[in-house]
Amino acid sequence: MKRPVLLLVVCVCFSAHEGRAAGTPAGTSVVNQAQVSYTQNGVPASGVSNATTLTVAEILDVNVTLQSAQVSVIAGETRRTLLFRVTNTGNGSETMPFGIDNLIAGDDFDPLAAAPAIYFDTDGSGDLTPADVAYAAGSNDAVLAADAGVSVLLVNDIPAGVADGQLGRSRLSARAATGTGTPGTTFPGQGTGGTDALAGASGASSTAIGEYVVGDVQVAVVKSALVVDPAGGTRPVSGARIDYQVVVNVSGSGTARALDFDDAIPANTTYLPGSLRVNGASLTDAADGDGGEFQAGATPRVRVALGDLNQASGARTVAFAVTIN
Amino acid sequence: MKTMKGGWVLMAMAGFSASAVAQEKGCILLKTVAEIEQPATDERGQPTTRLVAVEKVVPGNEVIYTVSATNVCDSDADKVVIDNPIPEHMNYVAQTATGPGTEVTFSVDGGFNYGAPQALSMANPDGSRRTATAADYTHIRWVMRNPLKPGAVAFARFRAVLE
Repeated sequence: MKRPVLLLVVCVCFSAHEGRAAGTPAGTSVVNQAQVSYTQNGVPASGVSNATTLTVAEILDVNVTLQSAQVSVIAGETRRTLLFRVTNTGNGSETMPFGIDNLIAGDDFDPLAAAPAIYFDTDGSGDLTPADVAYAAGSNDAVLAADAGVSVLLVNDIPAGVADGQLGRSRLSARAATGTGTPGTTFPGQGTGGTDALAGASGASSTAIGEYVVGDVQVAVVKSALVVDPAGGTRPVSGARIDYQVVVNVSGSGTARALDFDDAIPANTTYLPGSLRVNGASLTDAADGDGGEFQAGATPRVRVALGDLNQASGARTVAFAVTIN
Repeated sequence: MKTMKGGWVLMAMAGFSASAVAQEKGCILLKTVAEIEQPATDERGQPTTRLVAVEKVVPGNEVIYTVSATNVCDSDADKVVIDNPIPEHMNYVAQTATGPGTEVTFSVDGGFNYGAPQALSMANPDGSRRTATAADYTHIRWVMRNPLKPGAVAFARFRAVLE
C-alpha cells in the first residue's frame, strides 16, 4: 500500500469515534483482511489475504427500572401511578410487550389494577394525564431501537380497608417479542435483517417492582366567624358583614390528595363579591386558573382546589365574607 | 477510528484489482481465518478449549484471527512484513498478538507509524498525552526476523472483541 493513501485514511479516522452502549448493531458485517510485503530475489512485492466476514447477530436484551419513590396512598384511593423506564439494551430494534402483576409475595395488600392499568407516559410528565396513551397488548406495543427507552406508568386502585403503614407492590414486566429464554437461547433467522437473534444477559425479559405505602392522614378543619355590624359593633343585624375563616391542617405520615374546599353560603346571607382569599392572597370569583370560585345558584357556595397537602405543607387558611340580608 | 478501519478495508479492496495480478504471481499466499474459542473435553475427559470457525458474532464475543503466510516459490522471501488492520467495530485484546519468529508492533494512527505498546501515546482532550491502550490500536504488524523458506508457513495471530 502506498503511504500517501494511508495518510488520507488517517485523516478521516479521528473524526468518527462513536460509542454504542448496546454494542455493534445487529446485521453489521465485520471484515478482516491482512496484507503482506516482502522481497523476493531482491524485488519488492506485496499481497493481500482473503477477507473474512462476520455477521453481527441480534442480542435480545431489555431493562426495566423503577423511577418512582415509594408512593404514599390512602385506603380506597383510585388511579395511583408508578413510573417505570423500559430500555432496549440489545443491539437491534425490538418490539417490547408489557405486563402487570400485582400478586407479589411479601407485601401486605394487592393493589387493584385499574382498567387500563398500563399507560405510556406520552407527555413525559411522570404522572397520569389525559395526554397519556393507554397500552393495549398486541396493538400498540413499543418498538424500541437499540439503546432507546420509553417511560411507562402502572395505574392501580388502592383497596378499601387497608391499614396505616401497609405495603402493596406492583410489577411491570417487559420482554422481547422475538423470544425469551436463558442467555444464549437462539432464534435462528429471527434477528434484525434476518440474522440470528439470541437472548442476552437479561434473558430478553426484565421486571421492576414499585411500592405503595398506606399513609395515615388526618385533615383538620376549623371554622371561625367574625361579625362586623354597620355601626362598627359585632351584632348580627341586617347589613352586617360576617368574615369567615377556615383553617385546613393536614397531619400524619401520608398525603391528602386533591383536597377540595367547598362551603355553602349560609341562608339569609349574600356572598361579598371579591372576598375569597387563601393564605391572604385574593382569588377571583370566576371559575378560572386560580383554583377558587364563587358558584351562584340555588345553593350558592365557595370552592377552592387546595391540591395535594401533607404535614409539611403547613396550614391553608381560606377566608371569605358574606353580608346578612 | 471506525471510519478509518472501514476506509482501510475499502482501500485494500479497491487496490485488489491492481494487486491481484501481483498476488497471482506472488510468492506469498496470505490467508486469514476467524475463529472462536469454545469449551471442549479432551480424550482423557479433561476440560479444554478448542477453536471453531465462526461466521456469526454478538457484542462481547472474542474472535481469534489467524493469518498464515506461505512461501509458494522456490526461493527465500525476505523482509516479510504482515499488517492487519483491527476490523471495524472490534477492539484488540492486549498482549494477544503472537507470531513465532516475528517482532510485533502496533499502530494508533491508521498504520502510518508503528511502535511497541509503551512507545505509543494518544492525545488527551486537554492536549496532554497518555499511553495508548489496546483499544486505541488500529493496526498490528508482524516483522519476520528471518527469511521465509520455500514451502514454509509463518503464522500470526491476535484476538479482538466485538464492541
